Amino acid sequence: MSSDKFPEKNLPEEENGPQHSDARRTFLKQSSLLTALALAPSAAIKAAELKFEEKVAAVFEQVKVTLGINGKKHKLSIEPRATLLDLLREQMHLTGTKKGCDYGQCGACTVHVDGQRVLSCLTLAAMVDGKEVTTIEGLANGDKLHPMQEAFIKHDGFQCGYCTPGQIMSAVACVREGHADSDDEIREFMSGNICRCGAYPNIVNAIKEVKNGGQRV
Amino acid sequence: MIQFQYVKPSKPKAAIDTVAKDQSAVFIAGGTNLVDLMKRGVMNPEKLVDINKLPLRKIERENGNVRIGALALNGAVAEDKLVLEKHPLLAQALNAGASAQLRNMATVGGNMMQRVRCPYFYDTAMPCNKREPGTGCGALEGYNRMHAIFGHSDKCIAVNPSDMNVALVALDAVVLVSGPKGDRKIPFAEFHRLPGDTPQIHTNLQQGELIMAVDVPENPYTKNVNYLKIRDRNSYAFALVSVAAALDLDGSTIKSARLAMGGVAHKPWRLNEAEQFLAGKPATEATFRQAAQLAMRGAKAFEHNKFKLTLGPNTIVQALKNASGVA
Amino acid sequence: MDRVDGRLKVTGAAKYSAEYELPNMAHAVLVGSTIAKGSIKSLDTKRAENAPGVLAVLHYQNAPKVPGYAQAAHPTEPKPVGQPLQLFIDNQIHFNDHPIAVVVADTLERAMYAAKLVKAQYNEEKHATDFNRNTAKAFLPTAAKRNPKHPLGDYVRGKEDAYKIEPLKIESEYVIPTEFHNPMELQSIIAHWEAADKLTVYDKTQAVMGTQNAFAKDWKIPVENVKVIATFVGGAFGNGLHTWPHETAAIMAAKKVNRPVKLMLTREQMFTMVGYRPHAWQKVGMSATKDGKITAITHEAIGQTSSYEEFTESTLQQTRMMYTSPNVTTRYRILPLDVSTPIWMRGPGEATGAFALESALDEMAFVLGMDPLEFRLINHTDKDPEKNLPWSTKYLKEAMQMGAERIGWSKRQLKPGMVKNGEWLVGYGMGVGTFGANRGRAKVKATLHKDGTLVMQSATTDIGPGTGTAMVQIAAQNLGLPPEKIVFELGSSLYPPSPSQGGSATVATVGSAVHAACQALKQRLTSMVAGNADTSFKGATVENLTFKDGYVSMTASPSARLSFADILKQQNLPELEVTEESTPDASLRQKYSMYSYSVHFAEVQVHPLTGQIKVTNMVSCADAGTIINAKTAGNQMVGGAVGGIGMALTEGAVMDHRFGRYVTKDLAEYHVPVHADAPNISSLFVNKPDLINNPNGTKGIGEIAIIGVAPAIANAIFNATGKRIRELPITPDKLI
Repeated sequence: MSSDKFPEKNLPEEENGPQHSDARRTFLKQSSLLTALALAPSAAIKAAELKFEEKVAAVFEQVKVTLGINGKKHKLSIEPRATLLDLLREQMHLTGTKKGCDYGQCGACTVHVDGQRVLSCLTLAAMVDGKEVTTIEGLANGDKLHPMQEAFIKHDGFQCGYCTPGQIMSAVACVREGHADSDDEIREFMSGNICRCGAYPNIVNAIKEVKNGGQRV
Repeated sequence: MIQFQYVKPSKPKAAIDTVAKDQSAVFIAGGTNLVDLMKRGVMNPEKLVDINKLPLRKIERENGNVRIGALALNGAVAEDKLVLEKHPLLAQALNAGASAQLRNMATVGGNMMQRVRCPYFYDTAMPCNKREPGTGCGALEGYNRMHAIFGHSDKCIAVNPSDMNVALVALDAVVLVSGPKGDRKIPFAEFHRLPGDTPQIHTNLQQGELIMAVDVPENPYTKNVNYLKIRDRNSYAFALVSVAAALDLDGSTIKSARLAMGGVAHKPWRLNEAEQFLAGKPATEATFRQAAQLAMRGAKAFEHNKFKLTLGPNTIVQALKNASGVA
Repeated sequence: MDRVDGRLKVTGAAKYSAEYELPNMAHAVLVGSTIAKGSIKSLDTKRAENAPGVLAVLHYQNAPKVPGYAQAAHPTEPKPVGQPLQLFIDNQIHFNDHPIAVVVADTLERAMYAAKLVKAQYNEEKHATDFNRNTAKAFLPTAAKRNPKHPLGDYVRGKEDAYKIEPLKIESEYVIPTEFHNPMELQSIIAHWEAADKLTVYDKTQAVMGTQNAFAKDWKIPVENVKVIATFVGGAFGNGLHTWPHETAAIMAAKKVNRPVKLMLTREQMFTMVGYRPHAWQKVGMSATKDGKITAITHEAIGQTSSYEEFTESTLQQTRMMYTSPNVTTRYRILPLDVSTPIWMRGPGEATGAFALESALDEMAFVLGMDPLEFRLINHTDKDPEKNLPWSTKYLKEAMQMGAERIGWSKRQLKPGMVKNGEWLVGYGMGVGTFGANRGRAKVKATLHKDGTLVMQSATTDIGPGTGTAMVQIAAQNLGLPPEKIVFELGSSLYPPSPSQGGSATVATVGSAVHAACQALKQRLTSMVAGNADTSFKGATVENLTFKDGYVSMTASPSARLSFADILKQQNLPELEVTEESTPDASLRQKYSMYSYSVHFAEVQVHPLTGQIKVTNMVSCADAGTIINAKTAGNQMVGGAVGGIGMALTEGAVMDHRFGRYVTKDLAEYHVPVHADAPNISSLFVNKPDLINNPNGTKGIGEIAIIGVAPAIANAIFNATGKRIRELPITPDKLI
């Protein structure tokens, strides 16, 4: 099936006529193949004839996005309800970005989007179309660790390691933003990253070292 | 999360028309609250209209106001030079909210639209008139430690969780709205509403109306301000009680004051009476205490939030002390 | 030394249980009940089954039978009475969010959506979840009923409740709420049936062997057919010490759909599916002489458990052995409610008990007008008053002295509210903790390769303390090999058996096996060089050789030396392999009482108007035997202190008893400490070996790091404000 027959799935503009989306919504509402057939474009009908109900659903439910991830461009077809976090972990197999709560309450999923730290669990992947995402896997320069990664090792800024990628992505941003001028400022601006092992003082020390070291982060 | 349709218009009119025509469509900007609620099945829109392409990010001086575009990010506003110069209270309030990451995602318009954090609203297995009218208010006779002491009804006792809103209501902000019937301005104090018999209605926005910007009028409150938020941990928690205090001082005399509370009502709670009392009085702890007592008139607490009847006025006093520099 | 797995953790390369890629993997989401007690009347799964991508919806009517359920065993010791929740065996509901179905789909999004479509109708029964309203139903644990001498049984030393007739006494009740482990990694499992009788699980567990045994029994397959992988565990703090229903759900689902199935709990489910530190009520009565000698202590406790499993913990142990009181009475009861089963959470029992005991000490000292440090020193005991045995080692006094100096205890005023910093009231408090210096049996395989590198393997886990790092260092020291040439592999049931990582026993247990393996390797290397044609090692014994930097030399004539690699080459051996088991000497436990000790000092500031609380300084000191790695050990102490800050100030779950359902079930409503709650925390170690306990001289750290922290903070708050808060957490509303 060629998805270009469903232009509303390609990050649709308002110029799209109403009938496609209406048809799709009706389809979703009633979850009825027959209803969908009555209104759906030909490719869907063809699929339905082949009794590929799920494929029909898939066609209706995918959008195309282009994402830069760690410097590489990816063209992807995704469900609009997919979060950036689940896209990274389940489809891109970039599992360095962690799921700790899925509700924006722990910071384990912190990534950079166009250089800003954000929570990938509350970011719909469709909404970062055309943007550049940096995850923990993209922070080091080949084999050479980022100074923040080095500092976390040196100061033992972790125990179990699960919150660590989020802490590091957040810490790098914290220094870049200029919010690492004192212990208290670091603590406040890192409070969105929970470490249940309680390595906080070591994390603060790691950030201070990078900040005071003056390396480019 | 249910499947939904996703569109990303580049003109406000298209966005507005789409939502105006479709009861099941909503705008999405930062998504920090909406995506959370969709994951939990609390909100189930069938169409998301992504407004991030709209040109609504600017922060600029406009006609005696600081005009903040609806899509300006909370973090960007908190660090904006103009905001820091003209409305430091707003910057303080923004920085007291959420986390650095969330402030990098959340927009000013979205923050205004933030839903309540009541656990009964969030849990679809619990009763909640706001989520499902007619099921009852779970908090009324349930766990209501975080809940309202002002303006509640027997249908809903939840509070507006925003910090930004508390500063904006104190600063007499005006919301610029565009809708299917044209543009209008809504004074900030009238933007949010009390629950009454229809707690499911969150704000006074009409279907399809889009927040374009918020105007914060320039005022003398550029120095003696304080946003004080009391919470269960020292950061990244919602307010038990918060106070936005702004004073215009002439020596040790208060020329005028602006005062609002968070964590106490279904809307950011402006304390007009206390403000009027403060005007012309000496900036002393005794004055602040009297103002705080005035502010608490009409407060009614529930089983678990009686402490707010004490913490509320104490926080008002302390915020005024911090703002005025009175030790 | 830096952590051996640091690089993997800072680059995102460390793989946790949900992060393995298996071909054709499906996703499962668990669905829970919305009532606390009763039965399922009807279950509507049609909509879920018809949703796109759904492969199966399993529930009590159609789930594959678990053949071994009848004799399922608990994977860890001690074994509670009753049994873990058995999944999908009937329509009964035992707690709110009791698993009623598992939905399996081809993608995560589809599984999550379809899970929301499963609807149940119930026959609801009256539930009992409110601890306070049901305390009359508390009872003596069955283990103690059967055996009155059981540690959970009532204990009387001297006269029962002797404090009651004394003139100088205190009597107080203390409450801790239900607290949740909330490790950052959500509990996850990938279950893969590689054949009809061959199961592999990538599971978040602290007990590789325990999990292997449990699933082998459940599914009636040979133990060796169950492979458990837990290479990295994203924190657990105890909740990986049990088998939980979601694990079985994934295994069932994988069987049903004949594909590998991944199941990750939601954060809300972490509050109902994987245990918690139980709500506990305690009462302490204490009396003392005017000059500060404790004459009697009575300590009673009731802890919550579930209706289907007797969970117990040693809440009152510290009271029996810490102070030299001639009269001590303890009574422990458990209270079954319509809730899920608790599980040991960091410093289990003892942390709960220490909050009451160490708060009571502070209250007693205040009544006596005595410095609480001095009061503790007066009542210090040089032998175990419970067992009447000498301590293997005890350097608590040294720890107290170190900590008092570092925090500046001399700044503390006896009278509360006397020290101020601007508007803020400043207070100092202390609390003592102890935990058994446990050691179990473990086996380690050590392979010395001809390139001079050493690979060791054991089926222990590392939930964060740095097990691999400590084992590498122990081997490096014992074998005389640079640590960078040593690898320690863990977290797989393919390796020689080790017990679960729990009870602060891993370094003592597995470290002893590493020690033994190194001794065995040295012995083998010695025999090889002694028999060499080259006679420079003639008469070599392990004792007269020096093993250093990967070389062996005669201590008396170090010029002749051979690298381990060369020794193997001479022997034409590709590798030298030993497998050694280490078992503690039981007779030593008859002769000595073995404990780790900690003492925590806290400086807090409280705002008198707003009740805001800041912990501004903490010093945690430990007598934990030899410290293998100062960095990771210090980190554990600091982490325990942060956990204790949470226990004292922020953590506590709230249930709406009308529904028996939690209303604080995510990380926005249940507050674990954040960066802004943690000050600079100093950790200090006495660092003296306990060679009676084990050949490395170590004692455990993980538990004592948190035990005694909460009372230290509560006591500091009293010193700052004069307000004695006996119910945790101490939130601002309690101080205004």
